[in-house]
Amino acid sequence: MQKAYITALYGLMLGDKRVCSLLSDSGTEYDALIFREFPNRCFNFGIAEENKVAAASGLAAFGKIPFVYTTGAFLAYRAYEFIRNDICIQKSNVKLTGMGTGMGWSTLGPSHHTTEDISALRALPNLTLFIPASPMELQACVKAAYEIEGPVYIRMCMHDNDEIYDAGYTFVPGKNIVLANGSEIVVFSTGSIVSEGLAATKLLEEKGVSVRFVNVHTLKPLDKENIIAVAKDVRHIFTLEEHTVLGGLGGAVAEVLAEAGLGVPVKRIGLNDCFAAGYGTQAEVKKMNGLDSAHIFNKIWEAIK
Amino acid sequence: MDNEATALKKIRKNIFLTACAGGVGHLASAFSIVEIIYALYIKGVLCHDSKNPTWEGRDRFILSKGHGCLALYNVLSLGGYFEEDELWTFCRPGSRMGGEPNVLELPGVEASTGSLGHGLSIGVGMALAARADNMDNKIYVLVGDGECQEGSIWEAVMAGMAFGLDNLYVILDENKLQKMGFVSDIMRINCWEERFKAFGWQVKKANGHNVADIYKQLTGEWTAGVPRVLIAQTTKGKGVSIMENAPGWHWKMPNKRELKIVMQELGITEEELEKCKRHI
Repeated sequence: MQKAYITALYGLMLGDKRVCSLLSDSGTEYDALIFREFPNRCFNFGIAEENKVAAASGLAAFGKIPFVYTTGAFLAYRAYEFIRNDICIQKSNVKLTGMGTGMGWSTLGPSHHTTEDISALRALPNLTLFIPASPMELQACVKAAYEIEGPVYIRMCMHDNDEIYDAGYTFVPGKNIVLANGSEIVVFSTGSIVSEGLAATKLLEEKGVSVRFVNVHTLKPLDKENIIAVAKDVRHIFTLEEHTVLGGLGGAVAEVLAEAGLGVPVKRIGLNDCFAAGYGTQAEVKKMNGLDSAHIFNKIWEAIK
Repeated sequence: MDNEATALKKIRKNIFLTACAGGVGHLASAFSIVEIIYALYIKGVLCHDSKNPTWEGRDRFILSKGHGCLALYNVLSLGGYFEEDELWTFCRPGSRMGGEPNVLELPGVEASTGSLGHGLSIGVGMALAARADNMDNKIYVLVGDGECQEGSIWEAVMAGMAFGLDNLYVILDENKLQKMGFVSDIMRINCWEERFKAFGWQVKKANGHNVADIYKQLTGEWTAGVPRVLIAQTTKGKGVSIMENAPGWHWKMPNKRELKIVMQELGITEEELEKCKRHI
């Protein structure tokens, strides 16, 4: 995913001198290449995220388009007030990318996890919030972020996700993508857990369950019309996220459906008001926390059988 | 009394009347920075054009201690950014002037501040941008001495040096007071010169209530390649004897007895007060 991000950013920097890259000691070897090519547009602010976010607002005030990149936990949590006051309140044209979100830093434990950031970020006015599920979708989000005049946050996962789209993929900001068009149940998902959800969908289909699977890549603005449309003729509604069930995708979908008065029960799958437990590979940590495809399958199967 | 002294006296008087119009304001914090902001906008430190407030070539001023905005609003009005009468809308419904400055609402304001420890970082970004474009805009940021307890200030101070931003000027309003008492008592800080020097900044000092001194120091020779800080030694509450150096005046209005003293010392008449006051 990092390679996909940096490739997209590089393309933007080649085409527009206003685009700059802001790191807080958070780059990779890819960034080193960009630093060499654009030394006047790449800034390493050191291990100091608050200053970097506010400085991005200052750069934007001079017409620059700063892309701010670091681990999601240090961006969304440590610098939250700076995102709120200096970017969102002031409608600064700043693009923020939190990487390694969810349980992506799977060997480092909860200090490095971001499992409450969607709830916090989607509460911010003026912010567009993208959560891409694959490298192609991430690249589309970076391009869309550039084209939007105003604050954008990209919640990026870190693992080398398999591509879930083929070459004909098109991304429209704020428009959900239906990845499986079954008829009995609907599963809304987002970001790094989409691939596990699709694997669980296959297991359900093998059991004869017809699954409608919806990728909500834009949490703000939320595609309310699509959520209502795809949920109104099914028996069960599920949400799936690598995040707490409180206030994230599950909360957002439940708010829309409750206000629409659909009367269909919603089950939220994610972390149940707890921090993620354990250490290991990303697959192992997902499994330990009940968010691998087998656990997801079981949770849905138990609810509908 | 010369023109400058007359103008400064009027600013202090109007700061008080503005606060009366809104009901409350950070009077003492504004009184300590009157001469600094006057030196910037009226004396001519800043290159700016009140008739074209978004002119790209202008220098930028960020009031990082946003609660001192009563001084900023009054100087902006004096400098022609808007009519004096608009001051009396302060903190009222529909006003462009709240208790903290808002960049989206009032011409002349360069950044929305209010939460301390943000403005200097925004200034770092502006200075970086100006330098990247080979523009000669200068970026001035006024911070309070109490505000320097925010960790982000020191992140920005480090960055200013790391990036070699010699177009970045901090003016440190050393009024020695914060809301609950003296800075030196609460955080045992009183060595600003040493601190900034340790971070690689060039340091100058000025009498923060002497416009000529502030102007001379800011526009004088500076070392190339490093950011600059002017430590302006000020008195919180300057101009009203009962507020000067007196903890407790951070965010309050005078009672009836105190009001008489304020009006007498600032030369405010009953008629002027009646015109502006709302809740006092």
